[in-house]
Amino acid sequence: MAKLIALLRRHALLIIALLLLMAPHVTSQYEFYVVERGVQNAIHVLGLLILIGYSGMLSLGSAALLATGAYTYGILLVKLGLSPLLGAVLAVAFTTAVGTGLALPAFRLAGPFLVVTTVGFGEIVRILLLNLEPVTGGAYGLAGFANLLPDPNAVYYLMVVVLFLVAVATERIGRSRLGLALKALREDEVAAQVMGVDVRRAKMVAFALSAMLAGLSGVFLANLTGYLSPDSFTSAESATYLLMVVMGGMQSVVGAVISSLVITSLPEVLRFLSSSRLLVYSLVLLVYLRLNWVRTRSLSTWSGARMLGVLTGAGKGKGRS
Amino acid sequence: MLTSAILLQLVLNGLAMGIIYSLPALGISLIWNASGLFNFAQGDLLTLGGYVMLSLFSKLDLPYIPAFAMTVVAMGLLGYALSQIYFYPMLESRVNPQIILIGTVAFSIFIRNLILVIWGTTPQTYANPFGSQVMQIGELYLMPHVIWIVSIVAVLLVALQYFLRGTMVGIAMRAVAQRQTAAWLMGIRNDRMIALTFLLSTGIAAVSGVLISPIIPLTPSMGGMIAVKAMAAVLIGGLGSFGGALVGGVAVGIAETIFAALVNPAYRDIFIFAVLVLFLLFRPGGIFRAQVSEKV
Repeated sequence: MAKLIALLRRHALLIIALLLLMAPHVTSQYEFYVVERGVQNAIHVLGLLILIGYSGMLSLGSAALLATGAYTYGILLVKLGLSPLLGAVLAVAFTTAVGTGLALPAFRLAGPFLVVTTVGFGEIVRILLLNLEPVTGGAYGLAGFANLLPDPNAVYYLMVVVLFLVAVATERIGRSRLGLALKALREDEVAAQVMGVDVRRAKMVAFALSAMLAGLSGVFLANLTGYLSPDSFTSAESATYLLMVVMGGMQSVVGAVISSLVITSLPEVLRFLSSSRLLVYSLVLLVYLRLNWVRTRSLSTWSGARMLGVLTGAGKGKGRS
Repeated sequence: MLTSAILLQLVLNGLAMGIIYSLPALGISLIWNASGLFNFAQGDLLTLGGYVMLSLFSKLDLPYIPAFAMTVVAMGLLGYALSQIYFYPMLESRVNPQIILIGTVAFSIFIRNLILVIWGTTPQTYANPFGSQVMQIGELYLMPHVIWIVSIVAVLLVALQYFLRGTMVGIAMRAVAQRQTAAWLMGIRNDRMIALTFLLSTGIAAVSGVLISPIIPLTPSMGGMIAVKAMAAVLIGGLGSFGGALVGGVAVGIAETIFAALVNPAYRDIFIFAVLVLFLLFRPGGIFRAQVSEKV
């Protein structure tokens, strides 16, 4: 039994990928759309895992980077008439550049200062999307762009393959020189610098990778919905992505992927919650944080979140100070 | 044509809004000083205060002053409970500050959606207790609530300063803010003092939430917009500085009003963020040069 669990855990990513590849055959059209969104969110959340989980730089502007990727793709196709493939490549490149720019304030700022900067960035992007109507379509939204691949199922398969590759890469980055440098930064920036970590370079790479994945996810989002509106990229969305990272255990790639898929499909399962969805999410997050990180022995050993942690190998960061 | 009278008028209009920003900013600053925790939920606590007032004053028909007092006391007690039940245990077990930060973000979302569920999404407002007769002084037009807001807040700030400087409890609170271990060795209960700081911060945020009503109608998402301005205010003024929060809040209020009137109202918030980013990059301590460099 123990061997079986170990085996399942070692190949968890592969199993998830295979299950996802079967999804189009066993789900209804609407359920399939939810799974598609889950996969697309997971790509974005893996980027956040590098930024928030590995390097400890909290971002509340992630929806804005997603929007940058999605809108750039849409605008390039609709207004400039580029081919979808070229549009996607340029959109990802542009988002990466913008995200790397966000690393500049991170050189000097930490903690709440950095978070407020990312909140500000999120708001700026949202206001620009609303007001630059000739380019972005403003509140009416943007539509009428072609998909990457003509067959919608092909886009899905591409997404699953990309997710698998990104997940494996993220896992490897976590164990690589870069990942260790980022984790050292998270614990103590000065100590990391003393140990020879190039702090600026590490932060820049973390932001760039995270933005690249946000851009990629944004391009896929544009493909899935076929319509973009500023309402899909509010700070509440950023908070939901943050929730996905935290509930995934903040350290674990498998955890992040599972929590993205689960949290994306949760509103469909919990239909009766409809308008109070975020109320429940935030309450769950509050309880999870309180139980998982406060050292009260009797409670924390039995928290459900911890059980998830056991399954996914997450929660190794417990009790760090 | 921009005359000095128009400019003065804009400054006056911005002043009321700026004072509304500066109270939650002050709350953020006080909590930061006491516990090193940056409270992202301050704006939503403000909104909650506004809605509690709406229920007490408008739905239950209580007179203005008792309703005001009850709102502030209730919100203060909520802040005390929040600290005792949630934040202090986390601070005490030396949880990574990043995790607590996420906790305050979660609280912000929780409160916002709680308001949404209880009071609904439609913007609500109640009768302006200060009257809506515009006063004219020379070339200036002045709403009576502007004068009231300025004077109420001025009295509040004087009282707060007296409390923090002149009373034993206030001095104990500042001692905890300065060095927790030393304060603890002097027999000061850290948990109570930090909870008291939360009580004060939430209470003054509620004052802001009550006073905001004549200026803009209450909406559940209002707190997000105000929190963002209050955070900008506190960082521009200097995090941890009493005067900094006030000056920062008023500066943000006046600057955004002038920018909206003279340049473009749609890009008002972008202007504030641009100023904030410039401050963070070139003067991270803010106007009052708070200590931000990391202690090694």
